[in-house]
Amino acid sequence: MNEQVKQALIAKLTALADDELILAHRDSEWVGHGPILEEDIALANIAQDELGHATLWYGLRSTLDGSDPDRLAFLRDAAEFHNCELVELPKGDWAFTLLRQYLFDAYEALWLSAAKDSTYKPLAEVAAKILREERFHLQHTQAWVERLGLGTEESNRRMQAALDAQWGYAQQLFVPLEGEGVLVAEGIVPDLGGLKQTWLLHTTQHLQNSGLKLPLQPGYQPTSRQMHTEHLWSLLAEMQSTARWDAEAKVW
Amino acid sequence: MDTQWPRWEVFKQDTPSKPHQAVGSVHAADPFHALLTARNVFARRPQAVSMWVAPASAILSVTKEELAEGRELKPSTFDLKPSTYYVFRKTSHKRSMTFVDYVGELEAPSPEDALKLAIERFTDAPALAWWVVPASSVTKSEDSPETVESWFAPAKDKTYKQQSYYGLVGAHAGKHKRTQGDDDE
Repeated sequence: MNEQVKQALIAKLTALADDELILAHRDSEWVGHGPILEEDIALANIAQDELGHATLWYGLRSTLDGSDPDRLAFLRDAAEFHNCELVELPKGDWAFTLLRQYLFDAYEALWLSAAKDSTYKPLAEVAAKILREERFHLQHTQAWVERLGLGTEESNRRMQAALDAQWGYAQQLFVPLEGEGVLVAEGIVPDLGGLKQTWLLHTTQHLQNSGLKLPLQPGYQPTSRQMHTEHLWSLLAEMQSTARWDAEAKVW
Repeated sequence: MDTQWPRWEVFKQDTPSKPHQAVGSVHAADPFHALLTARNVFARRPQAVSMWVAPASAILSVTKEELAEGRELKPSTFDLKPSTYYVFRKTSHKRSMTFVDYVGELEAPSPEDALKLAIERFTDAPALAWWVVPASSVTKSEDSPETVESWFAPAKDKTYKQQSYYGLVGAHAGKHKRTQGDDDE
């Protein structure tokens, strides 16, 4: 692997891992606050799975540059994170959290299905492993979008509000990183342009079947992973507080 | 207005050669939702290959004691068309994690008739309790390899942490207690 490809791959793995880590943290904020015990457990499971995926992506990066996943997660500042803005938005209500998880799962399942054929074997293996869990996540979140969309007037209103707020942000999932083209050319990662069309087809159909309307104006669409909303700072302040206070945290 | 979701009994099959066993219940809005939450609550780590759910309200449940005390099993008074019932039975107090095991299905005009038939038919072991469940009320997880893989396979990599893993905490807590004790004196 030449240096250019290697640097591009490190950047991509970091972005993948950061998305999973920040989304996992937002989901974990529901622990103990879910609308019903069963769903509290289910979302905690999803959060743990996403955290596990983050660990796998940071782990792959580590084999390339020797970085320490714990340091990346707990000792970087917000400006050094490369997650998309969608995952850092505050958890909102149940509809907001489940819609975000659905839009992300739909993207991730597609990305992984393609990435399991990556020419870079370690990435192909991780993708195949994660894909199993993502298929189940997607069934769960898909079911919630449908039930809230077609449920009561209020559940539909909340789901529609979540969609209006998130649709633009979700488009960032398909904005390639600078330099990602070289990875696509090498067959290491899938081309996001092609995936976006499939994602739009699937999500549009499911959202409309769930009694929801796609926003006519997609609103703000972030394009750079160098930029973040103010919410990432407060999220990290909480997530990193223990590690920054006592990095070893061996005695507690 | 009752805003509580209905309760569903969950049946889990550990391996293809074992029967489905009642492992507990979940609250859910509809059958598929019940299956999704059942998978999260009962099969995230434990081994499974298949799950069934049935609304608790559809289950006829009778214990050995109730039968001994003369609980009457009313036969159907109408000429009902027979339908399929799944029969579950508890034969031992040994495994406290599960309740009844699936023993077989039969055709009968009513749950009570099905239970009477079951008592005659499934005699290989003494029954402590019976559940009779209309087959039409049971929703099953898909048997497709893709579903089995995504619902149940990841559990193999998710082991429980043994208590000994937390030894460090125990040791520290003990030390902490002793220090506190000294302070008290």
